Amino acid sequence: MSNHVDHGLKEPSTLTFEQPRTRVWILTSYLLLVFLAVPLWWSTTSIERLSLPTSRVDSLGSKELHLPISVAVDIASHGTTSDELVEKLQMRFESRRQDIPELYSHLEFSVNPFRGSAPPDAYSVSLTEDAQFPTIQRRHLSVPTHHGQCPRIVNQAPDLLLSLLTPYGTPSPPGTFRHLVAKYAPRYRLAFTLLNEDAAAGRAVVGWDVADMISRWISPVLKQTSELHNFTVESQIKFYAPLAFEPRVLSNGEDVTYGLSQENLKVFVNSAEWTLASSVSNDPVLHFVVFVPSISHTPLRILDDASQPISSGAFILPQWGGIVLLNLPVDTPSKLRLTEAELDHVFSGFRAQLLRLIGVSELPPGVQSTDPSLPLTDFQLDTLYRQRAFENAGSSKETLQSIVKLVDQISNMPVGQDVRDDVLEALSALEVLFAGFWNVPALALQHSSRALTLASRAFFNPGMLALLYFPAEHKYAVYTPLFAPVAVPLLVTLLREVSAWRKTRNRANTT
Amino acid sequence: MMRSPPICLFLIGAMMMGTGKAVKATAEEEEFREELTLRPLPDGKVAAHFSFSTLLRGAVPRAPSSLGTDDTSQHYSIFPLALGQILREHAIPEFHLTINSGKWDYDRWGHPGEPGVGSGAELWAWMGDGVQRETSIDERWKALQNSLSGLFCASLGQMHTLHTTSPARAFPPTGDLPRLPAPHKHSLRHATLPAERVCTENLTPFLKLLPCPARAGIAALLEPHKVFDANWHGLGVHVRWRAGAGVELVLSVQAVLDPVRISVERRRDWSLRSLFDRSIPRSCNIATSSVVRVMLPSASEGGSYTLSPEPWLSTEDSIASYDLTNGTSELDIAMTWPEEQRFSYPLDLSPLSDLSVRRTLKGSSQTHGELSVVIRNNQPVTVRTHYLETMPWHVEFFLHTLGVSCGDGTKCDYLFTNMAYTPSQPHNKPALLQATIELPPHETVHLSLRVHKAFLRYQEHRPDAQRGWDLPPAVFVPVDAPFRRIYTSALLVDLATPDFSMPYNVIIMSSTLIALVFGSLFNMLIRRFVVVNLDDEVSTSTQ
Repeated sequence: MSNHVDHGLKEPSTLTFEQPRTRVWILTSYLLLVFLAVPLWWSTTSIERLSLPTSRVDSLGSKELHLPISVAVDIASHGTTSDELVEKLQMRFESRRQDIPELYSHLEFSVNPFRGSAPPDAYSVSLTEDAQFPTIQRRHLSVPTHHGQCPRIVNQAPDLLLSLLTPYGTPSPPGTFRHLVAKYAPRYRLAFTLLNEDAAAGRAVVGWDVADMISRWISPVLKQTSELHNFTVESQIKFYAPLAFEPRVLSNGEDVTYGLSQENLKVFVNSAEWTLASSVSNDPVLHFVVFVPSISHTPLRILDDASQPISSGAFILPQWGGIVLLNLPVDTPSKLRLTEAELDHVFSGFRAQLLRLIGVSELPPGVQSTDPSLPLTDFQLDTLYRQRAFENAGSSKETLQSIVKLVDQISNMPVGQDVRDDVLEALSALEVLFAGFWNVPALALQHSSRALTLASRAFFNPGMLALLYFPAEHKYAVYTPLFAPVAVPLLVTLLREVSAWRKTRNRANTT
Repeated sequence: MMRSPPICLFLIGAMMMGTGKAVKATAEEEEFREELTLRPLPDGKVAAHFSFSTLLRGAVPRAPSSLGTDDTSQHYSIFPLALGQILREHAIPEFHLTINSGKWDYDRWGHPGEPGVGSGAELWAWMGDGVQRETSIDERWKALQNSLSGLFCASLGQMHTLHTTSPARAFPPTGDLPRLPAPHKHSLRHATLPAERVCTENLTPFLKLLPCPARAGIAALLEPHKVFDANWHGLGVHVRWRAGAGVELVLSVQAVLDPVRISVERRRDWSLRSLFDRSIPRSCNIATSSVVRVMLPSASEGGSYTLSPEPWLSTEDSIASYDLTNGTSELDIAMTWPEEQRFSYPLDLSPLSDLSVRRTLKGSSQTHGELSVVIRNNQPVTVRTHYLETMPWHVEFFLHTLGVSCGDGTKCDYLFTNMAYTPSQPHNKPALLQATIELPPHETVHLSLRVHKAFLRYQEHRPDAQRGWDLPPAVFVPVDAPFRRIYTSALLVDLATPDFSMPYNVIIMSSTLIALVFGSLFNMLIRRFVVVNLDDEVSTSTQ
């Protein structure tokens, strides 16, 4: 614009809205708006993902549970024998730990002699001459010597103690017992069900003294194991419960017997027709079923591998519950109520099945308890506490590790405050458990159960499932149509302004 | 692979041979009664009403204050444990669940044996206040819905606050309610899902609650193919507590079957075998009483009929009863009209019900409409009736447009009294309109009310958005006979529905618009204006 011609118009660069300064302001405010909107965009599109204590969980891997078992041998009576016993015990326990490390590596045995009174929290062993059988009184085991058969005692007593304190693995072959035990849960429902196969076919059991039977046979067990589990007890009668298969017919002259083969037992529970499931709670249920076969299937017997009926009518379904067959005699009335006489052996069977299912070990053969009113001895209870504490510690450790791994792998998985709290609390319970040296196994159990409950609650937290997953293609598809047309004019103007500014600066430098 | 056998035999010594003792029938704590009522209808159909009632003698509903602590052990013999658990877990003294399919035609079929015949699922429960927040009525109401959904395989879980109301006047407790300590009281929760249909998956778990399911007793007749082929069918579960007696559970199945439709000769003859495809094979030996009743048609409507076999008990003139309690033989009841060659539908049927109600939603617009209710009193006396209208929030009433007119077109607002209106909360609670209507003898009353149809949020539409929204039936409850409720038909409302199929098109379209507006505005703001002298250029170019 070197030659000024008067055309009656203002020079545009002198107008207020054409000032370069105004233009820069406009551009800056737009850019500022975009930058200010970034945090808002970030907060509305990101998911809550609190950090988990990864390093603490990782360091759990090297930690182990330590449960001491101290055994005190009474050396007051049989001096030399007892000394030998101490040595022998120590040796046997050590070899036991090394033989089955997956079950017993957490146990730390110490065997000490004592005179007078046994130290507290120790399992004491004494040799007596007057007893007939080995007897257990609280945490004390007395082994009869049978007059001078010392070498035998030195062998027998360690065997007894071993099978009392580390019952799994021996004497039964491994696998036959452990797999029956239900998974640990702080609360179980015990559902007692009387199933009439077909009541309408003629004979129906319409009542049973179940409350009396439970208080006589089951309640003492529940009371003793109350440290481990809480139980809800319920019962019902079903009048129509068909079998899903036809039992084998075994005829022996006049008598006809119906047989259940081992294969049949596996599919005995007809879950399509028998509505045994509970709909109100998620607590695991242990079922105890009395099955009354219909007239057309009586008597119903369990067959052994050689297809011969066996005398027992009871069997356990692993981790599910127990079943007892109850064959009614031919001359029973069409409606009857079962009384004590018929139910006593049924419920003693249920008690034994319940003990198996919750993992109580059997006493070694020949050992007697001085207090028959209590179904479990302290040896059995403590062993169970230790075993459950060990299992719980292991599985809560695994659960925590898998949570951390899962969250690490899936970057879109939300982690809320409640999950984090649960993980932290489970972690601290576990750390307390691993750091401690638990003379009282029940305490270790409490910590382990707490850790397990919290860890699985965190793992199954429904909030973690609300997974926001948008593939990258979708994001581009949503963002490009808006951002590309908006960003281009902004950037072009920015570049143009910068180059203009540079030009003016260069010009100012040259002049 | 697991090598150890999964079954472990566990010896318990003795062989399982028991010796029984006969029961004294009087000392039973639980009692089961079953009853089937068959009612031939003037239009050739047969209404069947199965009722299975179990009484848990001496039982008392759980006190809401004891929730949160361990419950006592529950031992049931006939009462279904699955339902008992739900009642105890949520401390429910009374609830009623009905799931029906079809529209009950009151004019032709009269009043049903069980009043809950509204289309779809209806659930109502009376509950006492809990102490803590987790055991409050609303929390337990939600939990009850979920438990019942699980038990009966129905989608009751959708009955959240959108459908829940508390119309205590229309749904008084049918039993007694236990006393509660001073500040606490019982209250009602009621919800309807008009779109829920009843089907085999609901009947199967329902039958499993019965002591004699599908093999003996009158429950043997409940064959799903036949029951669900009926013109109208429904299931009901009713629990109530009667002080002094105990907790009573009534499971009911109702169906209106059409023998004319299934007969080749178009006759209205029926038998149990023709209606249900089976007869009653044997009695249910658990039942204290087991009765089949046939309501005999009156001479004027029935013509001459024969009933076989001869009724075993005939106490009244119009009812033939068959007592199956101790019977062991098979029973098939048949009713024939030997003189009739072919059933001819009666052309002028006088209504069998006390009231006739017709409810419609008028107007084709997606924003406005008009609700119209026509009520006719079929009786020669004045009838007072409660009127209950529950409306989801997306249909809003313009209450000032409420008009009441009589048969001859005159305004008669004075018939409409005691009105109570709870407005809806958008996106949350339904509206509740309650009133009392006085119907003069043989009078027809028209109610009309303009409504506004709401515009829903994108996420509020259901997967089948184009189908429309079902509106729950209105309920009429005669003041003198509160258990003779009348349900109107459910309605379908068409709301404005967006096109869900093109989210990316919408995104791209709106982005383009925004970009266009932004671009032009931005350009305008930062445009550089330069004066170009045209005269100079023209003169230089021409030179």
